[in-house]
Amino acid sequence: MTLSQKQKQYLMEFFRILAVILIALALGFLITLLVSEEPVQAFKELLTGPLPKISWTEAGLKIRGINRFGNWLEDSITLILVGLAVAVVFRAKQFSLGAEGQIYLGALAAGIISLHTSAPAFIHITLALLAAAGAGFVWGLIPGILKAYVNADEIVSTLMLNVIAVQIYRLLLIQWLRNPDYGYIATDFFPETAVLPLVIPGTRVTIALFLTIIAVVATWFLMTRTPLGYEIRVVGDNLKFARYGGINTRRVIALSMAVSGILAGLAGAHLSMGILKQLTLNISFGIGFEGIVVALLARNDPKAVPLAGLFYGYLRTGAQIMERSSDVTREVVLIIQAIIIILITAERVLPLIQQWRMRRKLPQELSADHSEAAHVA
Amino acid sequence: MPPFVEMRDIVKIYPNGVVANRGVHFSVEKGEIHALVGENGAGKTTLMKILYGMEHPTAGQIFLEGRPVRIQNPHQAIDLGIGMVHQNFMLIPSFTIAQNIVLGQEPRRGRFIDFEAAARLTTELSQTYGLQVDPQARVEATPVGMRQRVEILKTLYRGANLLILDEPTAVLTPQETADLFRAVRRLVAEGKTVIFITHKLVEVKQIADRVTVMRHGEVTGEALRTADVSEADIAQLMVGRKVLFRIEKPPQQRGPAVAQVRDLSYISETGRPLLREVSFNVYAGEILGIAGVEGNGQTELAEVLSGLKPPTTGQALVNGRPVLGKGPRQVRQAGVAHIPEDRLTNGVALDASIADNLVVDRYFRPPFTRRGVMYPRLIRRHARDLMHRFDIRAASEESPVKSLSGGNMQKVIVAREFSSEPALLIAAQPTRGIDIGAAEFVRQQLVQKRNEGKAVLLISADLAEVMSLADRIAVMFKGRIVGIFQNGPDITEEELGLYMLGLKQQSPDEIETLQ
Repeated sequence: MTLSQKQKQYLMEFFRILAVILIALALGFLITLLVSEEPVQAFKELLTGPLPKISWTEAGLKIRGINRFGNWLEDSITLILVGLAVAVVFRAKQFSLGAEGQIYLGALAAGIISLHTSAPAFIHITLALLAAAGAGFVWGLIPGILKAYVNADEIVSTLMLNVIAVQIYRLLLIQWLRNPDYGYIATDFFPETAVLPLVIPGTRVTIALFLTIIAVVATWFLMTRTPLGYEIRVVGDNLKFARYGGINTRRVIALSMAVSGILAGLAGAHLSMGILKQLTLNISFGIGFEGIVVALLARNDPKAVPLAGLFYGYLRTGAQIMERSSDVTREVVLIIQAIIIILITAERVLPLIQQWRMRRKLPQELSADHSEAAHVA
Repeated sequence: MPPFVEMRDIVKIYPNGVVANRGVHFSVEKGEIHALVGENGAGKTTLMKILYGMEHPTAGQIFLEGRPVRIQNPHQAIDLGIGMVHQNFMLIPSFTIAQNIVLGQEPRRGRFIDFEAAARLTTELSQTYGLQVDPQARVEATPVGMRQRVEILKTLYRGANLLILDEPTAVLTPQETADLFRAVRRLVAEGKTVIFITHKLVEVKQIADRVTVMRHGEVTGEALRTADVSEADIAQLMVGRKVLFRIEKPPQQRGPAVAQVRDLSYISETGRPLLREVSFNVYAGEILGIAGVEGNGQTELAEVLSGLKPPTTGQALVNGRPVLGKGPRQVRQAGVAHIPEDRLTNGVALDASIADNLVVDRYFRPPFTRRGVMYPRLIRRHARDLMHRFDIRAASEESPVKSLSGGNMQKVIVAREFSSEPALLIAAQPTRGIDIGAAEFVRQQLVQKRNEGKAVLLISADLAEVMSLADRIAVMFKGRIVGIFQNGPDITEEELGLYMLGLKQQSPDEIETLQ
């Protein structure tokens, strides 16, 4: 009974999202029709672009477009890590927008360890990752403490701390870390011992893939199998109830932001140690904020974040490919992408449909499910 | 002649699938007082919100004097002469009574509001209907009973012929209730019609001509003449089974003082003294009832003692351990449990599961958490066990608390607080707004704890409840304890009412001897 009810819920949610995605894609196609000479081709790029093209030729199995496939996974890894970070704080109903700054400081810490220490690969990578996680932790703890103890609004404080983080990053990069011989502002490439090992040849998909899987499991474990996770959920559901029950709500608020920072810091390490292999002036391009979309899609449920991240990554990569290989401009692509996200996160789209169906249900039919509704009423 | 108001085959299904009304038929004759009763969640408030245009029916029709009408919003309802006085008053505290009454339809002189005319109109209305108010007083400075009269006058000012009163006596003292009933009879004498929502059955017999009973969204007793039915009949229609009204209470076995509160004062953040030198003991094996009109410091007393608010001065010992100024967790560890007054805010997390709600005070201890790892399976098993013991009706232990009825929600809180084996149990308004069956259960549990030798501090605005459960009764007025009584047959509601209104007061010596 319990299980089947829960499964039913998940199934409903799945169909809800599927229905909304279809509606959103249809709208997107309508817009494409308006702006493109070859709308079907353009839209096909959006929908299938990120998939590798597998074909049989005389020479045997041939795979093309592996780099596009790689782009999708690389982007999804970042999105999943940041999505997890946002899901944790949002679950505590703390609207921290600090992932962006934490990504920069995570990348910076990883970069400093990579460039200025040397060790065998395993140790070097571990140290750099720990540094990134630590930087994110601290940069999350600061607004957390400010919120918990002096009631500083976390939206304002995290946005300001983003500014500070990005400027610290640039200051150190320009003044100290950059290689002045380069024609652009960047550090040396990281030594081999500090670059995340490749997993899929022909792409930039590294062992960050496995780290991300571990991060998902760890976050899920934290939220459902530890007292801190319980406290974060209760604080998010009802702060006053948490206090009444004896939970130290200040500590929980501060820690929820700090734990979130760890995950965002690791996303920064993925960008610097896996994708760029050096530090450049701009590394995140606002992906810290895209993590919010992922967390919202996943309803702040760590289990659902990978799916949401892969979906959103697919959409982003498809949109890039559509922009590159059709006559649809970047602006329109971004509009289509945004519309899809708006519709999916609009909570009331499906309830509206349900309500409409209910109105058509006749009163006589209701007496049939009388006993079922009795305990709800 | 067609009835004054007739609602036919009303169906209301909320978007989340909850069916609040399933084919309800409800009719009211002109000039009658019609009681609408039912347990919480029976659908009576929904039905009245439909009549007042705040909710739209999924199906069904409304007729006013035989004419079909569609009521889309409260404005239309008011235009049709329908007025509603809500349970929570909708007044602007910083405005005067006259300003509140004319709000939105102010008499004007040129481009300006004519305040003199407003005051005059208020006085006229108040005299016509015998509803005494002071037009110039600010609402924030007036007692609850007067605020309610202001609400009624407000609807009359807007031309209401049909008044819907939603649980109007829930916040009143016995004296104020008597005043309200007089006023309601006067309204009817002046040609108005009144629908009176309540769950107090004594009142139904006292005030109403006819009564409609609802259960599970259906009418189980339609427009019965109150002269023809007994309270027990109505209760049976509401609950669907026979209800016990008397609670069996064996003679008291009073033990030593479990809680000792001395000179407890609390000043709010805005500087208002809400508790003034409150002193009392609660003994093992006793229920100490705190009576009083709401807002006289009872809420703060419970919150300070349970650690939710820091006291300003004073001391409190529970089993000899000081508890004041400690956080809720330490207070709980000293053996205090707390059924909070505002259960939706403090007592539960609505979106969280029943299982999670039941462990908020113990999730960090074995068996739920061992070596830093929590075991949801054990939390669920613990929940199933408590749901069984406390008769919590829900689809499953993983259902969110918000899917429960008010009574079952309160049972979740009671289950958690009682199962923590407290030495002192603070129960604030433990049966407010829950159905008869659940209230009966909660009261029995309180008496059970007393019989087991625990100390119970019962804070309730329901005087009848305090009188039927408590071994001793303390009355609070303006943050002070103004009288303490050994409960017995010689204690009457009227006598306690005089203390509740501040008209009588014991001397400090008398209070001390009964502490």
